[in-house]
Amino acid sequence: MIIFFLLLPAILMFIVSFVKTDKIANLLPFVSFTIIIPNIMLFKLPYPYHLMGNYLIVDKLGDYVFLVSSVVSIGVSLALMTLHKHVNIKKRAYNRFYRFFALFWLGLILSTLSNNMGIYWVGLEFATLSTVYMIKINYTSTAHKEAWNYMIVDTIAISIILFGIILIYASAKPLLGDNAMNFNALLAHIKEIKMPFLFEIGFAITTVGMFIKLGMFPMNLWLADIERASFYPVPALFSGILESAVMIGFFRFSKIVMQIDFTQLFGFVFIYSFLTIFIVAFLIYRAKDFIRLFSFSGIEHMALIALFWVSGGTFAALLHFGAHAFLKPSLFLSTGVLESKGKYHMAGALRGYKGIKGKIFWFIVGLFLLAIVSVPPSPMFFSEIYGFGAMINMAKHTHHMLAMIAAIAFLLILLSIIFYRFTAIYQSMKYGGTQEEKKVYSSEIIALIILAVSLALLLLPQSMEYLRSIS
Amino acid sequence: MILYLSTIILLVVISPLLLSFITQIKMFITFKKPISIFQGYRNFSKLMSKETIISEETSAVTRVAPFLILSPLLTVLFLLPPIVKGAYYVSFVDAFTITGLISLSTFFLMLLGLDSASSFGGMGSSREAFISALVEPAMILTVFSVSMMAGNLGIGQAGVNLASSFPQKHMASFLFSAISFFILLIAENGRIPVDNPQTHLEVTMIHEAMILDITGVYLAIVEMASSIKFIIFASLFASLFMPFGLQFSVPIALMIFIAKLLIICIAIALLEVSTAKLRLFKVPNLLGISIVFAFLSLITFYVLGA
Amino acid sequence: MDNFLIGLFLATLIISIFTARLYRLIFWYFVNSLMLGLLAVFIGIKVHDNALIVSGAITLVLKALIIPYVLKYLSKKFHLQRQITPNIKVHYSVILIPAILVFTFFIAEPISHMLQANPNDISISISSLFLTLILMMEHNHVAPKIIGFLTLDNALFLLGITATNGMPMLVELGVFFDILMAIVIINLLFKDTGVKA
Repeated sequence: MIIFFLLLPAILMFIVSFVKTDKIANLLPFVSFTIIIPNIMLFKLPYPYHLMGNYLIVDKLGDYVFLVSSVVSIGVSLALMTLHKHVNIKKRAYNRFYRFFALFWLGLILSTLSNNMGIYWVGLEFATLSTVYMIKINYTSTAHKEAWNYMIVDTIAISIILFGIILIYASAKPLLGDNAMNFNALLAHIKEIKMPFLFEIGFAITTVGMFIKLGMFPMNLWLADIERASFYPVPALFSGILESAVMIGFFRFSKIVMQIDFTQLFGFVFIYSFLTIFIVAFLIYRAKDFIRLFSFSGIEHMALIALFWVSGGTFAALLHFGAHAFLKPSLFLSTGVLESKGKYHMAGALRGYKGIKGKIFWFIVGLFLLAIVSVPPSPMFFSEIYGFGAMINMAKHTHHMLAMIAAIAFLLILLSIIFYRFTAIYQSMKYGGTQEEKKVYSSEIIALIILAVSLALLLLPQSMEYLRSIS
Repeated sequence: MILYLSTIILLVVISPLLLSFITQIKMFITFKKPISIFQGYRNFSKLMSKETIISEETSAVTRVAPFLILSPLLTVLFLLPPIVKGAYYVSFVDAFTITGLISLSTFFLMLLGLDSASSFGGMGSSREAFISALVEPAMILTVFSVSMMAGNLGIGQAGVNLASSFPQKHMASFLFSAISFFILLIAENGRIPVDNPQTHLEVTMIHEAMILDITGVYLAIVEMASSIKFIIFASLFASLFMPFGLQFSVPIALMIFIAKLLIICIAIALLEVSTAKLRLFKVPNLLGISIVFAFLSLITFYVLGA
Repeated sequence: MDNFLIGLFLATLIISIFTARLYRLIFWYFVNSLMLGLLAVFIGIKVHDNALIVSGAITLVLKALIIPYVLKYLSKKFHLQRQITPNIKVHYSVILIPAILVFTFFIAEPISHMLQANPNDISISISSLFLTLILMMEHNHVAPKIIGFLTLDNALFLLGITATNGMPMLVELGVFFDILMAIVIINLLFKDTGVKA
């Protein structure tokens, strides 16, 4: 029953996308509204609830990520209604996009709600493969080249994740038998494994694969390239939904490893995130157009989320994750309007809006631009405070307090480079450049308002309680 | 001892037969009327009765080299694994000796090619050196690997060990050595993917180019040397990689051995018919595969054993 | 027998790293998958595991028959370049490949001590992973990279068979389904190289 409602939006979208009318762009977002129904149903279930035997599980973490992804996808499909007014696209492309969006949603359900490592991997691969074709909606040769690039990089990353999963399964199989694929079973019995080293190797390899997909240090340029080469809803999908699927995998895997060997996990992820933020800070400093700027900023936030999670600040990581998943897609969706006069016209992008819709638009976008660099009332500010606090808390129990303080200080310097750049961009957008007229459409405004409201809802005490209770 | 000497004489006598058999099968497959299987002997007797002419620009090397080409190969014949049970065999000879002797023979062949001061000979010798440099390490590694698997570094003893107890768990390493040795068999004897034995065109000659300037008795000796080289390699392949049939009585074991040699000839003939000769600069590709497989077989053996 | 088949698996992989023609590469991929499927069926019969026999049969049908045929059909339809010379020259790859083999066998040694399986098989599976990455790296064109990705999947399946006697059935089916979807996406990606931006 619940499975049926979970799969219903995807199946509906897939079927409706074969309808060939001219109003297709307006019809499909309303189909995607049906995503709300499973969300409401999932919230009413007692936690943790097992679906389909032991394969899918609905617990607080999965439910939260699923809710965030659903809100983002509703926003994205609303903004998609006016894609053809900003870029040169045929109506047929909508059908294709929604077909692959349906497959993407199916993969996302499998990976977010899964209890089984293998099903998680299958869902992740589904989601990845369906986004490859979405890049090609943009009918240029650059997009064609970048789609191939993305396919190669992602299939290698996914295969590395599968390699790690096989090693983890092999290490736990003598103890748990076929049940060794379950996250819950592993979490319960991990201390009894005879050879924890194999488990750690498997986890390290899986983490490398997942970090490649997120765009962290050694391979961080492909993400910006593919996001530049595709239309603006696609990076919104990436940063809102696909990265959340990868992140939940990282969350579940690292919770298990934290019980075996915490120092090794922390050192590994810390060095990785540190190097990533170092490189990305300077890349942000030199970014000259919106989409690259936002994708690098997304990489930096993912690194911070990983860092906060492994230092034990789970509340901070989840809050940061939710805030980023609402902020980044809305910024990407607004680049459709911001770049409507040209790619490199950063200065004056927030000027020249007329009417109520224009005023709401530049107000929200200005707020979001500042919110993403953790200016106070944004949830990112709180999450960073809690996150760094958790890191210091963890270092209190070891002998490396001074090293941790130095590292946090250095991280804050890097973050301040990003802060500087973003405020400089905001000021040039608001006060610099020439005034060029840009049109905003109501569907985009509604999408932005939905995401803004969700962001504000994240700040409520009830939601913070909920996040705190996800251990 | 009697069996030992008679098998050696048998190998020497059979060798021209094998090369004509390969040519016969090739002609049969390409719908030509096949030559007689005794053509090798006829060529030999024809050459022995011809007048031996040497060119004016040669030195003493040309008079001496043909014998020096044949004698290391005849020595190797004495060191091969036995083909019948109860025969005497030499058990202290390992891969280095056999490869070294074969290379000694090749060295004198190269000198012979260079000596006549013609451009064909120089070209043939340089090509032969090029191929030889790639073949030798592969051969040493392959034969070492097989003898390690058989438990004894001596080739003769290894052949006997393999026939009595085949190591099932090293099957993967065995397979890799077999592939490598087969490629070496083709390369060292100048068969089609590496060198065309029937051509006299300048661009495609390697072995023929070196022996272009001799005739008569010298040519007969060099041709005999190349057939003995072929039967050495074929016999090594048959004893090391198809090690069954040693336990039967003498006539049956001999028949099985000759059948194995004929199967190898048929395989080579099929390969020759279906492939084109490789460009000289693509030959390292093929020999590179051989080296990698030889190395691989040694490594997989060590991973399992160590 | 399974040692023999794993040996042939690695042999065809190494040969496909040296080869310079697209159709030959597809042929070696076919032999690779054939060995893999036969291996899965044999080990399944030996340990009486039905899931492994079914996976082996699906591998034989899908990866050894359907996918090479589809690849050849795609390369004819889109006129892919058939001469794919490796970027690493032969004399370097002759040294590089044994070096990688030694390196991965050295890495895989502690792993093979920890699993109760034939150490040869584990080491060969892990070195196949690295060698497949070489196969993907050394070509500029996209078709060998696709075959490299498919061989990577083969190597992971081999690791799954040797390290743990086959993964749970549902996961295997999911993996096969993903490969099918990857081929569909590849077909779609080959169409329309697009207009110049």
